[in-house]
Parts: sequence; structure tokens; C-alpha cells
Amino acid sequence: MKLELGYIDIRGIRFDDYMAIEDGILVVNPKELAEAVLADPLIKSARLEIANPGESIRITPVKDVIEPRVKVEGPGGIFPGMISKVDTVGSGKTHVLRGMAVVTVGRIVGFQEGIIDMTGPGAAYTPFSKLHNLVLVMEPVEGIAPHDYEKAARMAGLQLAVTIGELARNLEPDETEVFKTPRISESFDAILRGLPRVGYVMMLQSQGLLHDTYVYGVDAKRTLSTLIRPTELMDGAIVSGNCVSACDKNTTYHHLNNPVVRDLLKEHGKTLNFVGMIITNETVYLSDKVRSSDWTAEMAEYLPFDGAIISQEGFGNPDTDLIMNCTKLEKKGIKTVVITDEYAGQDGKSQSLADADELVDAVVSTGNANMPILLPPMERVIGMLDYIDKIAGGHDGSLRPDGSIEAELQVITGATNELGYNLLSAR
Amino acid sequence: MGGATESELTDIEKKNSFLILTNNPLVAETLGERFLIEFLDQKSDIEVLTLARNRVHLGHRILTAPLSGSVKPGETPYRSLMMTAEADDSLDFFSLGNMERALSVLRHQKVSTRAGSSAADLDYQLVDLSLIESALPSLEAAGLA
Repeated sequence: MKLELGYIDIRGIRFDDYMAIEDGILVVNPKELAEAVLADPLIKSARLEIANPGESIRITPVKDVIEPRVKVEGPGGIFPGMISKVDTVGSGKTHVLRGMAVVTVGRIVGFQEGIIDMTGPGAAYTPFSKLHNLVLVMEPVEGIAPHDYEKAARMAGLQLAVTIGELARNLEPDETEVFKTPRISESFDAILRGLPRVGYVMMLQSQGLLHDTYVYGVDAKRTLSTLIRPTELMDGAIVSGNCVSACDKNTTYHHLNNPVVRDLLKEHGKTLNFVGMIITNETVYLSDKVRSSDWTAEMAEYLPFDGAIISQEGFGNPDTDLIMNCTKLEKKGIKTVVITDEYAGQDGKSQSLADADELVDAVVSTGNANMPILLPPMERVIGMLDYIDKIAGGHDGSLRPDGSIEAELQVITGATNELGYNLLSAR
Repeated sequence: MGGATESELTDIEKKNSFLILTNNPLVAETLGERFLIEFLDQKSDIEVLTLARNRVHLGHRILTAPLSGSVKPGETPYRSLMMTAEADDSLDFFSLGNMERALSVLRHQKVSTRAGSSAADLDYQLVDLSLIESALPSLEAAGLA
């Protein structure tokens, strides 16, 4: 399977009464876009705002971040099973609006949603401060159940991103990259002999309201662990329905730009033999955890992997899935590294994960989500600040009268992302 | 944590019905008519899990993750947990390990949020309900719910 990504660099966004991409500037008609969102009777209000890198803007509460893309050649369309038909994606040619994102903002429940600061100390912790953001701020009609509004807000964001992506269909890319996913049989080619057979196990949040992920439109909590080709992710086969733990959830943007996938594809044939990737869920029911981790380990042995990388999503309950996955792979002789973040207390001295095992002895940490941080006031807030006191990592009094926020790193969207899609590192 | 214990879970579920330990009034109200609920009104999250841990010592097994969700401990006051209703003769170390680790996480929190103290209280109840409900299709598939 071969996918060509053609990057259209976006250097700014402006509002007008028409829509186009002109010399790297995205021109959108906010009225037209808002009306499309309001076609959903569950959404009471919708407005669009622009946030550029370096501006004194705080965006909150962030629900999802989405990179607009459009499928220009090959089967299927972006976000299969959600926006496009369910056809298998990941081959042909896709155009990417690089340097921008659609950010959806709205209160689903009164806590657990993130902050993107476009400047100041908070900006360093989120990769989305470096993007030109087209922000969709929504409010639901009265009396709607949170899970219905979550779906409405999720679909509105995905549809908006597809609408924007469509503007790039006939443009000439500024840069092109080609990604190839080899067949399993090709992983036995003589040229790859001697290189370690490495696989990737990607864990997906799938525990219930605000904790869900969709694969080709299927709720991941009702799935078995399965194989997926890495380029399918680049066309939006996996989307986020997850509003929980802003710092370490995988937004749809993260799924589209999974850095583990990119690095493994880049190193394939050089330092390692990237055999394939497995997606597996994070459930509440313990028998489901046992089944999912058993299947993951069986598949990893079947392919087989010599080594594996596991990335987690979220914290707490998923720590149990992480430890199960890792120990079961290790017991099959598969050397395994896990990528996770830490909840080690504000002083960093507490145990970092809610589960542990001596076989889990190779860990990449993406940061301590409990680290205290002071976010100075911004000149403009896109969204609403009245729930800041309730979001994860905030506490009573975390919003000060001057508009500054005293909180933990976990309030910032993407700050300790467990795919490693971060700006800060110890590298 | 024994692998053998894990693989026995399915058999255990078929032998025993289950009950839900919860301090969440919404869980008690919504699921109370269909399932056996032990509603621990006004008890803290630590008290709910401590009671569950003590039951494990008496031979009960946990069926759902004690720290379900990625809602931060010390933030939500609500915890709901499914356990086997009947005790076995033996102690399940898989359950015990999970319970002790979960309690350890809760004890390390600076503050324990009290039920009803937060403006987002109803939302915490709703998310806790949704988490425990997400286990129901698996129970239904096993003919238990």
C-alpha cells in the first residue's frame, strides 16, 4: 500500500465572503461555515474565530483538533465511516493543509477539557500553538444529553475539516512525501534480513462517554484488537471522540500525524524492519482487557515481532491495559518499549503509573502531567473560561481575578501526548 | 497477579451473578431496578474501594477496573465497581493487586473531592455512570445482564 501526501502550506487564515486557498492563505466565509454547522438541530450556536501563532489568545475548552485533508486519488475519502463512505483508505494521493488546524471548542461536560495558549509559557507545551487555527465555538440546545452533544460536536468538527480540505483538491503541493506499507511477506525479503522485526501497538481510549475513539466509524470499545496499515491513519481511519485528559488524549490531528508511525516508516529498511501495527482498546470490563491484550500478544507473535513499541492513551484505568499488553508481549520474548506519561505528583515523587510490573522495564516518558504551571492572562479568550476551575488539573481558585490560571500541565491540550507529538523533549 | 486467574474470569462470571458497589446516586437510580446495587451514600471514593478490597479478601472478584476512566482521582468523588456477588473459596490475587494499586493512587491525592461539592457534580455522576454502563454489553454477551 502506497500513499502520497502532498502538503499545501497554510501561512494564514482570513475571513471573506468566499472560500479559497490563495497563495498559502486560507480564505473562508464564516457565515456559510457556521450555517452548515447549525443545520444540526442539536447545535444552538456556532461561530468561527481565527487564532494565529504568537497572538495573545487562549482557546478553551478544546474538544478536538483536526488537520484538514482531501483525498485526490485512490479509493475512499477522509474520515471513512464517519464523513466519507467506509471504503478502505491509505493508498493513492492525499492533500494536507499543513500549518493549520480546525479546533472545536465547546462544553460537553463541565470539566476535562483543554487549553491552547497561542503565546506565553503555555504555548511551549502544545504543538497546536504553532498552527493557524480555525476555531469552531459551539453551544448545544438546552436539555440535550452530553453524549448526543459530543457526537454533534465531533461530527461538526470533522465535517468542517473536510469542507476546508476540499479547497486544496486542485492545488499544487509545496512538498510531497511518499509512504509505503510493505506486505507481511515483504518483511521476509533478503534485504531486510538481520534487521529487528519491530511492530507498533497503539492503544485507543474506549471506555465510555468522553472516552471514545472510532475506527472506520466503529466505536473502538466494541472491537477486537486488529491490524491496520499505518497509511490508513493518514487518511483519518481513526478519529477522536475523546474529551478526557487534555494533556494525554490523542486528538484526531494526532491520529493523522502519528509520529511513531512516521518514525518507524522512516527507519524501515535502515535500522529496523517495520512489520506492522496493531490497534487495541482500553476498556472498563476486566475480561475485555484480558481478551484485547491476549489478542494483541497472539498477533504480535503470529506476525512475528522481535520488538514492539506500545503507546498508551489517557491514564489510570488504561495503565492496567498498558501493563497487560507489555507483560504479555515480553512473556512471548518480544522486547517491548512503552510510551506513557506520568502522574507523579507536583513534586514528581509519587509512583508515575497506577499499575506496574517488573517486565515493563523500558519506558519513554512524555512528561509529568502534575507539574504546576502558571498561565498568564491573555488579551483574548476564544471559548469560555467559566469552567476552568473544573477542568482536569485545575482546582478551586485556579482562575485568578486577573485572568491568569494556576494549574497543572494536564490542562494543556497535547502537553504530555503519549504518541510523543510534543515540542519539548530531553533529546 | 496470576495469568491463570485472569483466564478463569469468564468461568467465574458464569458461576456468579454480580453486584455494583457505588457511591454515585445516578448509578443507583439508573441501574438499581435491573441490577443488584450496593449504594454507599455519602461515602468517599477511598471508602468505596476499601470496601471492595475487603470483599476481595473474602473471596469476591472484581469485574471492572477500579480506576475506570481517565478522570483524575481527587477530582471526581464518584466510583462504581462491579464485583462477583458470591464469594469463592480462594483469594483472587489479580483482583487484590488491582485494588491495592488503585487505593495507593487515591491515597496519594492531595485532596479528596466530596460528593456534591463541585459545580460539575452531575457531570461527574454522568461520566461515572457511562463508564460502568460501558461494561454492560460485555455482561449481556455473556448472558449475565
